[in-house]
Amino acid sequence: MAGEPQKPTYSGMESGDPLATLMRARQLIHDAQAAIEEASKSVVQQRNSSAEIPDREARLARAENDREELASRLVEVEHQVGRLMTLYVATYQLHATLDPTDVQSTIAEIAVNLLGAEQFALLLRDEEANSLEVRLQQGAIDASWSGGATYEGGDPLIDASLIDGVLRFGPAEGSSVLVVVPLRVQDVTVGALVITKLLDHKGKLEEEDRELLDLLGAHAASALFASRVYARAARKLRTLEGLIKLVKKG
Amino acid sequence: MNVVKTRKVLVVEDSRLIHKMYEVMLRPCMLIAAHDGREGLARLGEHPDVDVIILDINMPHMTGLEFLEQVKKSPDFAAIPVVIVSTEGKEEDVARGLQAGAVAYLKKPFQREDLLKIIGRLTPAQAPA
Repeated sequence: MAGEPQKPTYSGMESGDPLATLMRARQLIHDAQAAIEEASKSVVQQRNSSAEIPDREARLARAENDREELASRLVEVEHQVGRLMTLYVATYQLHATLDPTDVQSTIAEIAVNLLGAEQFALLLRDEEANSLEVRLQQGAIDASWSGGATYEGGDPLIDASLIDGVLRFGPAEGSSVLVVVPLRVQDVTVGALVITKLLDHKGKLEEEDRELLDLLGAHAASALFASRVYARAARKLRTLEGLIKLVKKG
Repeated sequence: MNVVKTRKVLVVEDSRLIHKMYEVMLRPCMLIAAHDGREGLARLGEHPDVDVIILDINMPHMTGLEFLEQVKKSPDFAAIPVVIVSTEGKEEDVARGLQAGAVAYLKKPFQREDLLKIIGRLTPAQAPA
């Protein structure tokens, strides 16, 4: 049954009617034109979507930049939150007690744990004796006043800060001090926290440590002042109570 | 920033200031406070389900390293991760702490972000209390 391959036939053509063949040919041309138009539309659409790609890429890049900026701002904000927490805790703890010894311990804890101080001293004015007592000393400070009961002067940085109440950073000629934090209450300098050495891994005081030093200057002084006034009042009260008891017995 | 998802933290630390600091920084967590190693062991006996121990080194009565040695000897507590947070910052101090069984060592003064990163990394699967 093998023979020549069959040629395609169209309806109506086999009838031999030329008019029908013509009609059918026109229909085929019409269909072909429709298909071409459809294909053209598709090509145009594809071209349009290709044109949108760079625009979409640009928007994606902008979104990525925004995301990175927000992430870096978030890190910054988290860091600020941490710093504020540190300041809050230091203030809270300084005013959490009315015992002068506890306040001094808190100042020492702030110096060691929050500032990274290895060697420091707390100098406080004794109004009755009119001198500056070395209330607290940590580490073997290399200075003439180290280990003594009072500070008699001689360190240019400490002396200057005690006079004008300004925070000062070393190094300075004739001084082994890293930083002097004057402790002020109502514009009166009542003492100073003197740091002479930091922990090795701390290295140096950072800009953000300045906030903590300023806070210490104001709050440590008022906490110490309040605790000393309270202790004095409590002592007087106990004395008075003792006297009243004696009078009652007599 | 890592969210702290740990539920229960034992803080063994002699500074009241630092206790307060942890209280503020680790707010979603339940903190168990101890002020030296000996008290730390007693608290651990009362709360054996702690997720992390934050440990100072220089403390009265029993130091942090002595406490850590006891914890690692105990089959009940040996698996609890211990993070040392200390002013002792020399290389040999860090090595000693890690060799004793601490999972991390943070030097004081520390940043809150660093502490949260360490604690967040230790117990990622637990939900806040």
